[in-house]
Amino acid sequence: SLIKPGSKPPTTPVKLKKVSTFQEFESNTSDAWDLGDDDDELLAMAAENLNTEVVMETAHKVIQNHSKLQEQHKFQEEHLQDEKQAESAELTSVACGDNRLVKSVSEGHTWSSSDYASENSSMQRSQSLPQASTPPLVRGMTDYNTSVTPALTEREASRLDKFKQLLAGPNTDLEELRKLSWSGIPKRVRPIAWKLLSGYLPANVDRRESTLKRKRKEYFAFVEQYYDSRNDENHQDTYRQIHIDIPRMSPEVLRLQPKVTEIFERILFIWAIRHPASGYVQGINDLVTPFFVVFICEYIEEEEVENFDVSSLPEEVLQNIEADSYWCMSKLLDGIQDNYTFAQPGIQKKVKMLEELVSRIDEQVHRHLDQHEVKYLQFAFRWMNNLLMREVPLRCTIRLWDTYQ
Amino acid sequence: SFQSSDFLFKFLVIGNAGTGKSCLLHQFIEKKFKDDSNHTIGVEFGSKIVNVGGKYVKLQIWDTAGQERFRSVTRSYYRGAAGALLVYDITSRETYNALTNWLTDARMLASQNIVIILCGNKKDLDADREVTFLEASRFAQENELMFLETSALTGENVEEAFVQCARKILNKIESGELDPERMGSGIQYGDAALRQLRSPRRAQAQSAQECGC
Repeated sequence: SLIKPGSKPPTTPVKLKKVSTFQEFESNTSDAWDLGDDDDELLAMAAENLNTEVVMETAHKVIQNHSKLQEQHKFQEEHLQDEKQAESAELTSVACGDNRLVKSVSEGHTWSSSDYASENSSMQRSQSLPQASTPPLVRGMTDYNTSVTPALTEREASRLDKFKQLLAGPNTDLEELRKLSWSGIPKRVRPIAWKLLSGYLPANVDRRESTLKRKRKEYFAFVEQYYDSRNDENHQDTYRQIHIDIPRMSPEVLRLQPKVTEIFERILFIWAIRHPASGYVQGINDLVTPFFVVFICEYIEEEEVENFDVSSLPEEVLQNIEADSYWCMSKLLDGIQDNYTFAQPGIQKKVKMLEELVSRIDEQVHRHLDQHEVKYLQFAFRWMNNLLMREVPLRCTIRLWDTYQ
Repeated sequence: SFQSSDFLFKFLVIGNAGTGKSCLLHQFIEKKFKDDSNHTIGVEFGSKIVNVGGKYVKLQIWDTAGQERFRSVTRSYYRGAAGALLVYDITSRETYNALTNWLTDARMLASQNIVIILCGNKKDLDADREVTFLEASRFAQENELMFLETSALTGENVEEAFVQCARKILNKIESGELDPERMGSGIQYGDAALRQLRSPRRAQAQSAQECGC
């Protein structure tokens, strides 16, 4: 599993080893795309979208359009033979543009993986937390509406109710919560759900407040105890590395605010010196962000976190967010510490698993990579080292973590 | 835009974290300074075709992560490199002191014949200099490295570093010291050279297959 290998048998891909075929695995996990058992309408829509007749008709149209354009192109070329080469080159590119347009329109009927890929790649480098165009992965979640304070649909409201009932206690059934979270956690209850699922907060409602108090105090005692040592000879390399890395983090959200830099530096430095077996490794800095952003949302009304001025929050609130982020990140890292120890065995193992998986489900791709001597470690290392933080938009990482917490 | 090449060289960019390896690569390819660059995890790639004494050489550049903990993984990327830029930061003695380790790794894991150019980067920050030109050039001489001080910010000596390294490899090929056909040389014939080996008829058939788009 990306998040906690081995520690959560029911939901982690570690069980992959026991599954004999990919189809089996796929059917075990396909419910990740569902929005719950009360989504008949949506499921019906999805089924319709995958209707073979519709797909074939669309495909036929694309082919027709393509050949029509090609004929047109040929025709025009014959007539333009005497013209300058430059002009005909221009024409080619115009015809090309049309082709692509036709293609993307026809694909727009379904949620295809290519839609997701193109949407994804265009967003990947953008400065913003994308709000307007929602990839299918998170479609149907609470922030689907375009208004600033979205009204919940009936389905969303009923999902939120289910979460609230579970969270109310007196003891939250964590297995039930994990099951419910598999298909996404409503934004409003995400902070508390993450804190429970990571093991930071106890299942018992009455003990939660006191635990928070104690843990927050404990964290700031660490800060008191260790943070001044950041300029000592034996720690200055660690601090220097963290200090130069935070401005070079991904994604760009929030990272340039001095207040945020300060908080991230403390969280990472304290974690590093309390975990000398791995210490600070580049990529760990990316793992603070999802927690920080989710926990900020507990205190603000704004939909867009990216433009939010963090220093406008009261100091006490910021301290709570900082301590909570520290502890939840620690819990996450406890499960993947061998990703960051010498020779990074955890990552090597996961890249091997990926290779094995691809060789089984897409032998053609696997063979192609092999023929061109492309090693999985060359492209998948970062995926594992940063838990996909550099590959998908932050919003999608957060949604993925709902499933894998 | 499409330029065929006579040779393809595999290049490495190595050196401590924060010395400016990715910025050197970006400056070389885009002719711009990238001031919001991420720290590299694992390896990233870039390529560019350069004209070296009338020959077109495609440089396939492997830009590696510098942090110590990544060393065991990045070492696996060295195999078969023909050239390398070994980068330190002239304002950080620590990055200079690490050069011996990087050098040992490169010679042991890439190939004995790897051509290495030492780059003292951040030349524009002369006021904060901790390593003199003279000291580094002595180190380079003792270890049979070429040497330049570079600035990824201003672009000074960046193209030169890559091209000088490529030129030396070409010279070694021409003098017979390097054999491109040897396995793991890090050198391949480019598409221009390969096209001459193909029969004209086959080349024609191939181009007809290519889509007009």
